[in-house]
Amino acid sequence: MNAVPIRHATILEGERKSAMEVARGRLMVAAVLFMGAFGVMAVRTVDLGLSTPEEKQTTSRQIVVPPVSVARADIVDRNGEILATNLETASLYANPSEIRNPKEAAAKLVSVLPDLSLADVEEKLSSGRKFVWLKRKLTPRQKWQVNALGIPAFAFEREEERIYPHGRLAAHALGYVDVDGNGLAGVEHYFNDRLNDHDRAGEPLKLSLDIRVQYALADELEAAMSAHRAIGAAGLVMDVRTGEVVAMVSLPDYDPNNITGVGDDERFNRVSQGVYELGSTFKTFTFAAALDEKVVTFKDGYDATQPLHVARFTIRDDHPKRRYLSVPEIFAYSSNIGTAQMALDLGTERQQAFLSNIGMLQPTTLELTEVGAPIYPASWHKISTMTISYGHGIAVSPIQLATGVAAVVNGGHLMPATLMHTDHAGQTSRQIVSAKTSREMRQLLRMVVLKGTASRADAVGYRVGGKTGTAEKPRAGGYDRKALISSFMGVYPMDDPQYAVFALLDEPRGTKETFGYASGGWVAAPVVKNVILRTAPLLGVAPKKEDQGLYQQAALLIEK
Amino acid sequence: MRRVVTAFAAVAALACGAAVLKLKLVVQEKADDVRALAAQIHDDREAIRVLEAEWSYLTTPRALQDQSVKFLALMPPKATQVMAEPDRIPFRPKDADPVEDPGVLLPAASNQKDDKKTDKSTRNTKGHSL
Repeated sequence: MNAVPIRHATILEGERKSAMEVARGRLMVAAVLFMGAFGVMAVRTVDLGLSTPEEKQTTSRQIVVPPVSVARADIVDRNGEILATNLETASLYANPSEIRNPKEAAAKLVSVLPDLSLADVEEKLSSGRKFVWLKRKLTPRQKWQVNALGIPAFAFEREEERIYPHGRLAAHALGYVDVDGNGLAGVEHYFNDRLNDHDRAGEPLKLSLDIRVQYALADELEAAMSAHRAIGAAGLVMDVRTGEVVAMVSLPDYDPNNITGVGDDERFNRVSQGVYELGSTFKTFTFAAALDEKVVTFKDGYDATQPLHVARFTIRDDHPKRRYLSVPEIFAYSSNIGTAQMALDLGTERQQAFLSNIGMLQPTTLELTEVGAPIYPASWHKISTMTISYGHGIAVSPIQLATGVAAVVNGGHLMPATLMHTDHAGQTSRQIVSAKTSREMRQLLRMVVLKGTASRADAVGYRVGGKTGTAEKPRAGGYDRKALISSFMGVYPMDDPQYAVFALLDEPRGTKETFGYASGGWVAAPVVKNVILRTAPLLGVAPKKEDQGLYQQAALLIEK
Repeated sequence: MRRVVTAFAAVAALACGAAVLKLKLVVQEKADDVRALAAQIHDDREAIRVLEAEWSYLTTPRALQDQSVKFLALMPPKATQVMAEPDRIPFRPKDADPVEDPGVLLPAASNQKDDKKTDKSTRNTKGHSL
């Protein structure tokens, strides 16, 4: 081989090669740079995926569940049991301009919705308009049947319906709503704005009611009402420590699911709206005031031999003993003569001040619009003082009475009655009698059941105390001896009062079992006893043996 | 060497592209799943509202009492049967014989129930044969 061409070639080749080499080298550098950059990005990607804390990853991927929106908040009882709720329903409308044969369509529709009138539907469907309502609030089954007819001109609009699953139970406390969902009575009316508040629709309104206790009370009152052929009844269970109303029954009642054709008598709330002359249950307040003002002590007494004649009135005893009675005896035997004399010693002013203080002269603060104002004489004469001392000449609602009695027995703290569930008790309480007076009143109330007029209220084991009341109903120009308001105000357990139970029967009649009597001790006291026996285990009050020493002071002063 | 690198890069690019596409599809599918689940939860919550109302209706104290009177031999407890301190259960007295558990169902009611069941089943078969 020739060396020169080789050299030449190598030089030539070397020059070309070196140029290519440079270009390739540069390209390579760029490629490596790019690859490096990609590598960094890849590593960073993996790093991001691995190093981000899990919470951060999940929070950025929050799942949004469309909220269940209801137009009106639910109402629940103290245990969360649903008392009123809104459920979705469908309302049927039609576009008549799309219907070719209105007669046939109307006939088909009426065959599945028999409560519609054929002529009416036919007229609507042949009107040729673009939109007519046919029926509001169909049940799911009816909706399915209408869809199954296969007529495209029928369509549904989503609507909500207020449902009260417990029907009649607690109807007066809950109230009812109109077709557009506005409350017309009860808490539905009182809290209408709160319930319709869009922001709080998911948050149920919690009442103080306990539906189980409510049923026990309603069941017993219904039984007593039919047994004694009464025209009405009212009942109440209240927590004496907090003022919470645990049950509230007014009979006759109504079904809030269907209020068409319900009369005023059914709608009338006898617990908060009705004011009654409650009779002897009122003596509780006269005695509490007299003991608290130290006008009398247990050791004192009054002569009850003769009826009292004041002006043109005569005050008699329903259970006359015709002798001198000690203070505990006056209470236990419910002597009007003794109580009236005690009220005179107390004085009109102090009596009035006490009754006002305990809320008897103002309407109750219960969260209902159906609240009755008490009726009492504008000018309070001496005779008023005497009759009011035993519950005549003043008319108050049962809820007012229960609030007052609760305050007398719970140590003297007046707790405003409420239908709202509260966790913290005793915030707005006012001392109305001393703890000592309260202790004495508990003895007196227990004595009424042990030795006095209310022996039929003694639920064995539950230490019931209370006061009977029997009042004649006022008629034009006097009182009707036949028409009675018989009531019993019970509290238990008397050594540590927890619940007040009230029962009232309007115009009860005596039966064979009650030997013809229709007074509070005969007709209302057994209701309270049964309610206590049924509900004490539900409310967590344990039966126990009684400490007789607690009542000794009063017991020794009562002779048979 | 260069060829290897080129080939590797090409393959890597393709693989990356495919993986990203796949990832995108999977993510889309998951997002659809999540949306469907959310809708399902919403529907379930509405159904729960209806069921709660129905439960409340079916367990209203009056209905429970009717059923209890019909089927159960249980009576309301007497005050002497309620124990104030359940953490201190007394022992059975030595001489007391163990009592046989009478059960909570009314004997008549439980029989009746069986009868009803058989009635129903015979009726059903009749219906089928017709």
